[in-house]
Amino acid sequence: MSKLTILAVVVASLGLPAVAAAAEVEVMFKFYCAQCHGLGGKGDGPNVSPDFPVSPRNFTSAEEMNKLTDADLKNVILDGGPSVSKSPMMPPWGKTLSEAEVDALIRHIRVLCACKGKQG
Amino acid sequence: MKPGIALSIAAALLLATAASARADAAAGAAAFKAGQCTACHYTEGPAREVTIEDQLAKTGPELWYAGSKFQRPWLEAWLQDPKPIRPLKYNSLTEDNPGDHPVLAAADAASITDFLMSLVSDAVETGVIKPKKHPKGRLIFTKKMPCSGCHRFPTKKPFKGGRSGPSLVGAGERLNPDWIYAYLKSTKVFKPVRMMPVFVGLLSDKDMKFVAAYVASFK
Repeated sequence: MSKLTILAVVVASLGLPAVAAAAEVEVMFKFYCAQCHGLGGKGDGPNVSPDFPVSPRNFTSAEEMNKLTDADLKNVILDGGPSVSKSPMMPPWGKTLSEAEVDALIRHIRVLCACKGKQG
Repeated sequence: MKPGIALSIAAALLLATAASARADAAAGAAAFKAGQCTACHYTEGPAREVTIEDQLAKTGPELWYAGSKFQRPWLEAWLQDPKPIRPLKYNSLTEDNPGDHPVLAAADAASITDFLMSLVSDAVETGVIKPKKHPKGRLIFTKKMPCSGCHRFPTKKPFKGGRSGPSLVGAGERLNPDWIYAYLKSTKVFKPVRMMPVFVGLLSDKDMKFVAAYVASFK
């Protein structure tokens, strides 16, 4: 086996789980969050009609998303909108998703906004 | 007539009725299979879904607890005139419900209803929920929790509810009130992987009953 092949095998063995995890998070995002936030995270999910009581957060807006820390995101995902004085239309997912799943969703959201968020 | 004879006749009638119901359910099961219903619906519990992919692979709702979930008159009528319940196509966030559920003839609808109504879950306790427009139920449904964000519901206000979940307009005729409560309380039994949040631990048992009674009052 050449050094290049060995390197490829090592990279693949290290890289594959990460790729799979990212794909899994995207599936999770599209299943739970996209209903309101949209498949691309623009806040335009199928529930959002003109008379929808709130505007779900546009995750692709770095300007908006940089106002929030990761801890802010975690709180609102786990405990719902009212926990941060926002709309109850944002459900509390704390009994549905594990903390690890929420952390993974936050990483996905940070990819969507291409931003690191407010540093807290 | 002597009481003993009357009792024997009554018992015989009961047994005959039970045997007839079993026969009807068996005929309905055959019609269900022959009608290709199994292509979209599974009817043997318990729930099979473990991952999101399992849920997304389905093209129609699971029916293994249909007899606990639906009201018989509604089901039999709906199978003959299947107007969409979900605004969106099953498992889709981008496509509208095409409204292409097969329409059944009256005899097939009756037979398949017999079969589906025989599929019950012991996780549904009967006689617990009575439909009622309880203010507490309304408060939770419309204000405290995000139910209306995903479900259409009867209201005079401009916002009629979201579209990602099944419509709850007419839920009072469609759903068994006790099942609504059981669905809130025993999430994992009926739908271990679902787009709706788990409310156990967020709503008290009493509040779940208020919500179930409120939803069961929807015309």
